[in-house]
This record gives sequence, C-alpha cells and structure tokens, in this order.
Amino acid sequence: MDAIMILAVFLPVLSGTLLLLSLTAKKRSGRACEKPGREELRSLHLAVAAALVLSAAAALLAAWSGERSLTLFELMKGIPVFFRIDDVSRLFVTLISVVWVVIGFYSFVYMEHEGKETRFFGFYLIVYGVLVALCFSGNLVTLYMCYEIMTLTSMPMVLHNGSREAIMAALKYLFYSMCGAYLGLFGIFFLYQYCDTLTFTPGGSLNLALASGHTGILYVAIFGMLIGFGAKAGMFPLHAWLPAAHPVAPSPASAVLSGIIAKAGVLAIIRVVFFVVGPDFIRGTWVQTAWMSLALLTVFMGSMMAFREKVFKKRLAYSTVSQVSYVLFGLSVLSQTGMTGALLHVVFHAVIKCALFSTAGIFIYRFGKTRVEELYGIGKQMPKTLWCYTFAALALIGIPPTSGFVSKWYLAQGALEAKVGVFGWLGPAVLLISALLTAGYLLPVTTNGFFPGNKVDAASLKKQEAPGGMLIPLAILAGLAVLFGLFPNPLIQFAGKIASAVL
Amino acid sequence: MNAAMLVLVVLLPILAGVLIPVLPFGSRRQMMVYIEGVVLLDSALTISLLIAQPQDAFELFRFASNLSISFRLDGLGTVFAGIVSVLWPLATLYAFEYMEHEGHEKIFFAFYTVTYGVTLGIALAEDVVTMYCFYELLTLVTLPLILHTLTREAVLASRTYLYYSLGGAAFAFVGMIFILSYGTTSNFVPGGVLDLAKIGDRTNLLLLIYVLCFMGFSVKAAMWPFSGWLPKAGVAPTPVTALLHAVAVVKAGAFTTMRITYYSFGAEFLRGTWAQAVVMIPVIFTIVYGCSRALKETHLKRRLAWSTVSNLSYILFGVVLMSPLGLVGALCHMIFHATMKICSFFCAGAVICKTGREYIHQLDGFGRRMPKVFAAFTVSGLALMGVPGLCGFVSKWNLVKAAVADGSTLAYLGIASLMISALLTAIYMLTISVRAFFPAKGFDDASIADVRDPGWKMLLPLAVFVAAMFLFGLHPEPILVRLQAVAALVG
Amino acid sequence: MEFVQNFPFICIILSLFSGPLSSILDRKKAKWVNITVITAIGAMNVAVLQFVIRTGEAYVYRMGHFSAPWGNEIRVGVLEAVMAVFFCVIMLLSMIGGSLERERELEPSKENLYYIMVNLLLSSLLALIYTNDLFTAYVFVEINTISACGLIMIKQNGRTIVGATRYMIMSLLGSGMLLLGICFLYGITGHLLMSNIQEIVRKIYSVGQYRMPLLVALGLMSVGLAIKSALYPFHGWLPDAYGYSTVSSAAILSSLVSKGYIFLLIKIFSRVIGFDIVRDSRVVNVLFVFGIVGMIMGSVDAIRESNVRRMIAYSSVAQIGYIYMGLGLGTTAGVIASLFHIISHAATKSLLFVAASGLTDASNDSTDFFDLTGAGYRNKLAGVAFTVGSLSMVGIPACAGFISKLLFAQASVEAVHKLLPALIALAVSTVLNAVYFMKTVIRIYTPEKKEVLAAKQFTPAHMSDQKAKSVAMICFIALNLLLGLKSEPIVELLQSGLQMFA
Repeated sequence: MDAIMILAVFLPVLSGTLLLLSLTAKKRSGRACEKPGREELRSLHLAVAAALVLSAAAALLAAWSGERSLTLFELMKGIPVFFRIDDVSRLFVTLISVVWVVIGFYSFVYMEHEGKETRFFGFYLIVYGVLVALCFSGNLVTLYMCYEIMTLTSMPMVLHNGSREAIMAALKYLFYSMCGAYLGLFGIFFLYQYCDTLTFTPGGSLNLALASGHTGILYVAIFGMLIGFGAKAGMFPLHAWLPAAHPVAPSPASAVLSGIIAKAGVLAIIRVVFFVVGPDFIRGTWVQTAWMSLALLTVFMGSMMAFREKVFKKRLAYSTVSQVSYVLFGLSVLSQTGMTGALLHVVFHAVIKCALFSTAGIFIYRFGKTRVEELYGIGKQMPKTLWCYTFAALALIGIPPTSGFVSKWYLAQGALEAKVGVFGWLGPAVLLISALLTAGYLLPVTTNGFFPGNKVDAASLKKQEAPGGMLIPLAILAGLAVLFGLFPNPLIQFAGKIASAVL
Repeated sequence: MNAAMLVLVVLLPILAGVLIPVLPFGSRRQMMVYIEGVVLLDSALTISLLIAQPQDAFELFRFASNLSISFRLDGLGTVFAGIVSVLWPLATLYAFEYMEHEGHEKIFFAFYTVTYGVTLGIALAEDVVTMYCFYELLTLVTLPLILHTLTREAVLASRTYLYYSLGGAAFAFVGMIFILSYGTTSNFVPGGVLDLAKIGDRTNLLLLIYVLCFMGFSVKAAMWPFSGWLPKAGVAPTPVTALLHAVAVVKAGAFTTMRITYYSFGAEFLRGTWAQAVVMIPVIFTIVYGCSRALKETHLKRRLAWSTVSNLSYILFGVVLMSPLGLVGALCHMIFHATMKICSFFCAGAVICKTGREYIHQLDGFGRRMPKVFAAFTVSGLALMGVPGLCGFVSKWNLVKAAVADGSTLAYLGIASLMISALLTAIYMLTISVRAFFPAKGFDDASIADVRDPGWKMLLPLAVFVAAMFLFGLHPEPILVRLQAVAALVG
Repeated sequence: MEFVQNFPFICIILSLFSGPLSSILDRKKAKWVNITVITAIGAMNVAVLQFVIRTGEAYVYRMGHFSAPWGNEIRVGVLEAVMAVFFCVIMLLSMIGGSLERERELEPSKENLYYIMVNLLLSSLLALIYTNDLFTAYVFVEINTISACGLIMIKQNGRTIVGATRYMIMSLLGSGMLLLGICFLYGITGHLLMSNIQEIVRKIYSVGQYRMPLLVALGLMSVGLAIKSALYPFHGWLPDAYGYSTVSSAAILSSLVSKGYIFLLIKIFSRVIGFDIVRDSRVVNVLFVFGIVGMIMGSVDAIRESNVRRMIAYSSVAQIGYIYMGLGLGTTAGVIASLFHIISHAATKSLLFVAASGLTDASNDSTDFFDLTGAGYRNKLAGVAFTVGSLSMVGIPACAGFISKLLFAQASVEAVHKLLPALIALAVSTVLNAVYFMKTVIRIYTPEKKEVLAAKQFTPAHMSDQKAKSVAMICFIALNLLLGLKSEPIVELLQSGLQMFA
C-alpha cells in the first residue's frame, strides 16, 4: 500500500466529508439557520486551508517521487481499482493542485458573499480528492468511476446559491455529464472486450486480431466515447451545460469547472485515445475526421457565441467551450506537435480561465455587476484587477510573448504537420479566426473599463480595489499566464515527452 | 439435509399464513412475533437448505402420470430462493411499522406470508408443471394484497393485474404443453430438455411456441407491451409494492423466463434463431420505455414502478442473450436490483407512511428532515444508475459484457438502450435527491416541520440494504463466481 | 347374465315411471321421491360401472331378447356407465342446490310437474347414453327436448316463455335434421341398430359407394345435434333459457342436457359411422372451426353481459365450443379431452349457477353485476363456491378446468395441422374467461359502500338457513377439486371406455 497516494486521494475526501457531517451535526443542535460567526469562519478557513495544502503537498509528492502504482481492490475479477502515476498524471495533478489551492484561497473571501461556506468547502475538498484520483487512475474503469463521482460531487457546487435557475443548471450539468459518461461507458464495454487490458498503455492495447470483423462497432463506440467524454470538455453537441452552469455557480466554482473539470474530459479522451485504443487505430478513419470537424466547429461556434453574449460569466463560459476544443483539435490531428500544443493549452487555459473567472467573481463580489455593459469604467475603480484581467485575456488571445501564443503555435503547427488533408489548413485558419473573435470578446472589457468615454461619469468612480485575499490569487494566476509564455521550455519538453511516448 | 425439507419450507409459510386470521392473538404484538417468527424460521430453514444443497427431488403430489408437484434445489433456484429468503424477514419487519395505519392487518399478513411460501415454491420447483402451478397460485395470493385498500383504484388495479397475469399464464401454459410433449422430461435440466428427434422439421413451430411462452411469463416481469399492470399495482401498501412488485412477483416472472429459456427449451436450440430476435426487440424497447415513463411520472411510487419495469427488462435482456454470460448478467441483476429497488421503495414507503406525501414535487427539502431515508434513497438511485462501486454497476457490466460477446446488432442496440436507460435513471432518480437535499431558495422549512425519520423497524432494513449495495458493489466476486458456476452448466 | 346387467334398463324405466308417480304426490313427497330415485339410479349405475370395469368389456342388452333388426338394444361399456353415474351425481346436486328457489319461484301446484320433467329428462339422458339404437335415440332426444322446455318455462315470467319457445323452435329444427340424417342412414344401410349400421357403412365406404349421401347424413346429424347443444352460432336460445329459468333448471340444462346431445354425437361418430370415416369426411374440421369461434365469441358475449346469470350462460356457449373443438381435432385424445370437459364443465357450471343463486339471494335477488358488490361477504360459502368455480373455468391448477385445458392442449399438440389455432384459441379464451369471471370475483369481494348498503337492506345469507344449497355447494366444490387433483383415474376410465366404445 502506498500511503502517500492514499493520503493524496483520501485526505481531501475525508476532510470534506467531515465538514459536511459537521453540518448535519450542527443542524441537529438546532443552529442550522444561524450565520457562522467570525471566529467560526476563521477556524473553518484554517481547517480548509490546512487540508488543501496538505493534500496538495501529498499529491505533488506522490506525483513527483518516481513510479508509483497501487491496486486499491478488485471491483470485479480482472477489473481492479488501480492507480498508477505516469507523466500525464504528473502534468494534470500538478496543474490541478496548484490551481485548486490558489482558487481555494481566493474563495475564502469570495464565499463570504455567497454564504453556506461549510457546504461549499466540503464539496470543494471532496472534488479535489476525486480529481486527484482521476489523474492517478491507472485503468479505464477506475477513470470512469472517478469521472462519475466527480460529476456527482461537483454538482452541489453549481447549485450552491439554491435559486431555481441554479438547480436547473446543476441538473443540466449533471445530466449532460451523465449522458457523456454513459456514452463513455458504452465504449468501455467494447474496449474491455477487444483490448488486451484496460490498464493504460502508451500507444494503446487494442488487440487487432480480436477486433477484426468488429471494427465497425468499435469505431462507433470510440466515437461515442469522444462525444461522451467531450461533454465535460464542452465539445459540440454536448456543450450546452457550460453556459447554463457557469453564470449561476459561485465564481470559484465556475473557475474550476472551466479551468479544471472541463480538463477532466480532456484527460479522459487522452487516456482513451492514446492509452487504450491507440492513435493508429483511428488515424485516417471517419472517426478522426468527425472528431476534428466537431472540435473545429466547437472552436468557431464557442467563439461566436461568446462574442454575442452580454453576460460576463456566460461569455467566459462560451469562451471555455471554444478554448477547450482547441485542445481537442490538437489531440485530434494525432501528431506529436499537435498533442504537445494541446497539453500546453490544457495548462495555459486552466490558469488563464481561472484568472478570468476570478476577475468576474471580483466584479460580482464588489459591485454585483454581471453584465458586460455594466463594466464601463471599472478600470478606474479597480485598476489592478483589470490589469490582471488584461494580461490573462492577452494570453488567451495568444499575443506573444504570453503563454497562449506558445500553445497555439504548436497547435497550428501540429495541424499543418499532420497528414489530415483539408484540416491541415482549415484548422489553423479556424484557430486564427477564433483568436480574432477572442480578442473581440475579451478586450472590450479592458478598453471600456479603462476608457469608459462618456458612458459614465469618471469623477464619480472611487477607487475600490479588490481585497487582497482575492487579488493575490488573481495576480498569481495572471502572472503564471504570462510567465509560461516567457519561459515555456521546460513545459514544452515535458509535453513533448508525453507526446513522443504515445505517438 | 433431507429433500423433504424442500416441501416444508414451501408449505410452512402457506399453512402458517392461512392460520393467521384464525388464530386468537391477544395483541398486535403477539401477531407480529408469530409472523416474524414463522418467516424467520422459514428463512433459516431455507438458507440452511441452500447451504446443504440436497440433490434429490421430493415429489409432493401427482396429478397424472406426467404431471407432478415436485421440488428440487438447483443452482438457479438457489439464487432466487436466496434472494427471497433474505429479503422476506426484512420486508416483514418493515411491514409491521407500515401496516399500523392501513387496517385489516390479519388478512394482509395472511396473504403476505402465504406469498412467501408460493414464491419459494416457484424457486424450488423441479419441473415446469410445478412451476406453472405455483406461478398461477402466485397471481391469486397476491391479488388480495393489491386489493387491500379496496378503493376503486385498487379494484381496477387488481383487475388489470389479474387479466395480465392470467393471460400471460395462458400463453405460458401453451409452452408448458409443448415441453411436456416434445421434451424428454418435464424436469428442468440445464441446457434444455427438447427431444430433437421428435421435433423433426417443426423447429419453426416450436420457436413460435417459445416466443408465446416467453411473452406469457414475461407478463409478470412487466415487459412491454404487458407492463401496464405494474405501475397501477402501486396502489397496494408499500411493503407489497416493495417486496412483491420489485422482487418476489416480478422476479418470479424473470425467473420463469430463465427456466424455460435455459432449462426447458435450451439456449442452444434458441440462440441465433428468429425467435431470439423477436423476444429481444420488446425487451430492448422496454428498457428505454420503462425509464421514459418513469421520467414522466410525478407520483413517487409509480415512478419507481416504471423504473422497475425498465430494470426487469435488463434481466430479461440477459436472459434473451441466451448465453451463459447473459445468464450471469441476468442473475446478477436479479439479485442486485432486488436490493436496490426494495431499498428505494422502502424509502418511498417511509415518506408516504410518515408524512402522507405521495408526489415528487411535495418532497422539497425532505432530505434535511429525513436525512437517513433520503441518504439511502440517493444511494439506491446511484446504484440504479450504475455508478461504479455500487452494485448496479456490477450487474450492468456483466450484462453488457455478455452482449458485447454476443456481437449481434440487436445486442449492440441493447447495450445502447442500457446506456440510455442509465441516463434516464440518473435523471429520474437524482432529480428527487436534488430536490430533497437542495430545496430552492426561499423554501419554507416550516411546511415540513412534521417530517422526521421513521423508527428502527423501517431504518434497519434500509441500513442493511445500503450496506448490501456497497458490499455487492465493491466485492461482488463471491457472488459472481457462484453465478458463473450456475451458468456454466446451461451453455 | 348377471342381475347387474339389467340395471341400465331398470334405471331408464324407473326414471320414466317415477314421473307419473310424483304427479299424484304432494310436493314435499314428490321431492323426496325424486331425490331418492336419482340416488337409486346413481347407485345402480355405480354397480353397473363396477361390473363393466370388472369384466373389462362392454355388453349388449337386448330388450325382450329380440335380436336385431327387430329388437331394441342397450349397450353398456365403461364410458356409458361413467357418464351415467356422473350425470346422476350432477343432477342430484343440482336438484338439492336449487330446492329453495323451486319452492320460492314455482307455483306450488306445479312443483310436482317439475319433478316429472326432471325424471323424464333423466330417463331420456340415460337412454341417450345407453341405447344402441338410432331411432330410440331420436325418440329420447325428443323427450329430452320436451322435458327441457318444461324445465325452462315452469318458472313463469315472460322471459322464460320466450326462452322456452326459442329453445323449442331451435331444438325441433335440430331434431328434424337429426331425424333426416337417421332416415338417410336407414335408407342407405337398412338398419337402425348402431352396430349393424356401422357394419354396412364400413362395407359401402370401402367400396366407395354412397359417399355423398353418407356425408349429407353425417352433416345433418352433426348440425342437428350442434344446434341442440348450442354450438355457436346456434346459441341464440341459450342465454334466456339458462339466464331466467329457475336455478336447478339452469344447472341441469347447461351441464346435462346439452352434454347428452354431445355424447350422442360422439356415439354417432364412433359407433355409427366410425371415427376414421368421420375424420376423413372433414365434418370435424367444420366442427373445429365453429368450436373455436364459439370459444372466443361466447366469452366475448359474456364479457359484455351485466346480468350474472346470463354471463354464466354465455360462458356455457364458450365451453361447448371447447368440447366441439376437442371433437374437431379428430383424434382420440381430442375426444377424451372433450369427454373429460363434459364432466368437468358440468361440475363447474352447475356449481356456478348454484353459487350465483346464493349470491343473488344475498343481494335482493338481483342478478345485476353491480348489485353483487360485496355479495361474497354477505353469503360467504356462495362467495367461495363462486370463486372456486371461476378459477376452475379460468383453468387454475388444482381445479377441474385446469385438467380439461391440459387435456385439450395435449390433444391439440398431437393434431399437427390444427395445433396453432387450437392452442391460441385456448390461450385467448383463457384470458377472456379470466376477464369476466375474475372481474365478478373481485366485484363480489369489493365491499359495498355504507350508504348503498343502508339503502338496499340486503339480507345476508347464512349456511344454516339454506342447508340444502350449502350441502350442494360443498359437494360441488369437492367434486371440482377431486377432478382437478385426482383426474388420472377418471381419464383412464374414459380412455378404456372409449376403447370399449367403438
């Protein structure tokens, strides 16, 4: 038994569960309706922070201290619940842990505004544990199991404020994810039959001899898995939950939903395509074509929708739809460079989108402003916040020397390199158009914020900077977004190593 | 262990049940002790039988030279008898608390206990005639349980139930006759008893008869288009809906289809024929149909009933795959669905019994007032959806494994329908949980001030079932191994 | 020649002459005479049955020792004796079960007449069973018709008179056709004694002569008897006749009279023409088709009926359909199934009529379906009896009906070409039976609303008030269960009887 891995997974889950249980204990003592006092809140924050940091440390330690694997138990004969750490897990675990801790600190302040902190942090911790488990998953069934549990446990974060729309949005999130999960499960059944093992093997373990004669249904199954796991990643046609869930969820929740949980879908797809099926099996088939088309369609459509959207968080949500499909497109071309770009974009987009959502959260926290046209002159009130936003936005657009440029470069190059016919030039073109649109929907917030013109009375705007507890995490994220662009090399190498192992 | 015990366990509850209205009980408590005692004793005897596995048959009675009522225990029977004998005492315990408010307890428990014996009779039947007789008897003894409240609704429901069941039995009867005529024996033999020499060129006829017979027996398993009775029968008191309409009666329907498919006609004979396709299509359709009806239903128990409809067809899907793997999946789901569905029904019953709320939209915020009940409900919902780690996943996995191995287009369609059904299950089960645990903003807590978790007699079964769902989900191997051993014989 | 061998003849005569006797007695005494006579006849037939089982072969009893072609013969085998015993039992129980109604519904002065009719009926039934002479059979068919009419219309309300008239017309039509058929046969063969006719028929059939006249004769006789036994679509007279007559009449008519004709038809098939010839003539196919249609349509009509007595009557139409279906299969097994069904249906249908009368007793004599709500609680035994009868009709194991269903099904499996329609009809008709019978059972066990109860003032019936009926019902139930649980000896008797028969 590997204590560190177990700790990394179960410490957050247990501490989160304890928090939730303390809630029922409180209810029994009849103090459910009381608002928690200052003292109580502080001790809560302390406990959560300790749990988060400790578990993140455990996770990082587990990830970066050599090869580890752990069989928890046998779910059925030949289907163990099995954890193993490889480079993909390392990348994702690190990303998740960093972002999760940063956003965790951010939400200490933010959640004062939303209330019901205990419940939020309870689920926040649990989801973290589940995500770590997801990254550690060593076979498809374990991955699927964590994936489902992640959906279930993250749902309460969406419906946090308890309004009718929030509940409906949470259910929508739940059912889209479930729909996706079952499409995924559908495929898992077939892969179980036709693969040598469901344990992740770089390059795939599909037994071609066994599968011959059944390739038709296998293609269907794999395509189903792409669509299904693509639901979490917001890929068309199962993308609709994103714009519904993000505006109603508390900002930190939207941030991690967009930045991290959507990436869980990407992780699942990487695992399926590159570690179980094997890229060679779908190369050049209709599955790849359809996948690329869907990804590009989503890239374009997401940007267009974001461009037209007036609600700030919803705009960001559509942006996520579009950006995560960059990643998927990078994967779908099945070339090393493309995959490197995709992995880079996973990291960059996570950081950037969390920063953007944090900004949106700050606007809501301070002024309750949710719509884009309300943000005129906001730069006068909180310049630091808006500067952070601007850097993140530039990074997302892909303006050198920010991080987004690096990843998009690799993505475009990957598409050009790969022998994918018309998509070789169509892909980069769509990416370019989408980048323009990204600029079109992100930058007006900056320009209007700093230069409101005569829309608002500039004199009446007092400086009301965001509290440090929120600004610092935001600054860290925005800083990371830029820094990655300046010093991308270690990351590029690491991503390249992963890509070269499977392609 | 003597084979005569087989008869004893069947007859004991029947006789004890018949005696209930006659015996002069001093108090309700005495009656409860008597009933629970009988049920527990019978379960203990049954389980000891299942452990001892006596091999010989016991003939109780002979109608005619080739028609006898005789009992024998085999692998398949062990599974069904096991489910029933474990669940019955728990359900009876639950019924005591529930029935306090319903009245006519003596009559109710009389039939309830008799049903136990009859169900065991189906499980332990040695031949098709015995099974058929107990099958018919099951219809009759469960009829008064549906009628129990004697409202107009109940009368109509019981009528529908009766027509469907007797009608189904009539077609099953045809199949029985054929087995008697074309089989080498009327006993159940793994792999089937058909005498191929006798059949000659009449294969198609026999397949047609199989289809009729399957349809007939599947009426009790509520297969579309014969599923209408089950949701209607939800008017019965919840212990009945939970135990009989989620387990005993409907599983008896599924069990009988297994018997005729694998033990009379023989999977070998049927596999790959048009008959397989003909029975598989409605089964696949029901899987989705039941779920979508459940989704539309706003009445809690009826929603669960439709869910049962769908889940029973999971079992039937396993049956009609006509392979040992399929049988494993079917048996597995038979056991696990019993646990999951009885649990969710008991939760619904606890709500209805303690608060009188019957519709889903009335359940806002209940999760806060009845946390234990709704926690159990949520777990059963998750299990029904097939979340890994709970038992539903295991059975679904096995079913689909069989379907993938089968490799036909219909089997693939079946897998797809299972997935769609899982999604719909998620929708109709989780909306309830979400509603209960996360009431919308501005919800008035005072409106549910009267709501409270029920007493231990209701909670104990729930706890047992929840534990079982986790146990089966995390460590199903011992059960699977046994099921595989049973199924290995029939291929 | 043993003395026992005289019994069949004595039975017929005894029954024939006890009629006039009861006309001069007062009604109480007449009733007792009647019951004693039926019991005695039953006992004698039991003795005969034992005798034929012991000797293992049929014997021919010549009246006055005149041999054919002048003499008249009685032929006694196991099958005949079984039927006779059974008819006596049913007759006895029906008479006992309906005694209360007779007192209530018949004019006191006419009650003796009723016993005359019953005695005549019994004698004619016995004669139909035992006779070996076609013309004698015809004569007794007529006697049967007349006495049956009497039984129907003796309870005088307009309906029964209409019913009786209809019955009379249809019956006479049937008898006429039967007579024509007999004339044809006589013309062809020159004989009236069954065994002689068969001899000649075989001869001419084997040389291929007279095919058409033979077919016509067969057809005429079949249709004639089919009309008389209310085979669908000739059943128009039946619901009124059974539905409104006094209960013992309904029970006797439905379970015995029509069955007597069917038995005669079986006799004609196997003893006069020869079963193989009948099978070749395809008349059986026609019977088969009409039997199946009857099975379904009778039940459909019954479902539509809201008068419980008429419902049971329609159910008879369906059951007659079963019997003809069995005959129509054209196999020995089919005939045995039909014979068994004659018995089981008789036991069940009379039970149902008696039980229904018990239920209506407790519902202010209303036969309306809705007035019977909760009647099972007001008359407990009748409720149970009705339930048993219904279950038997539906064919639930352990009841008589199950065994006949089983026999029919097994018989049809052997008849390859007719297998599917027969089995499907069997299944469908079971469903339909379930629909109307179980609907009624549920109805009688649904408690009536309090206000309705207060308005209608039903008088609950207790067992002690109607001992005769209770005894009859208990015996019927026992008979039903006996037939259901221990059918094997009876089926074996029928089998050996049928072998002896032809």
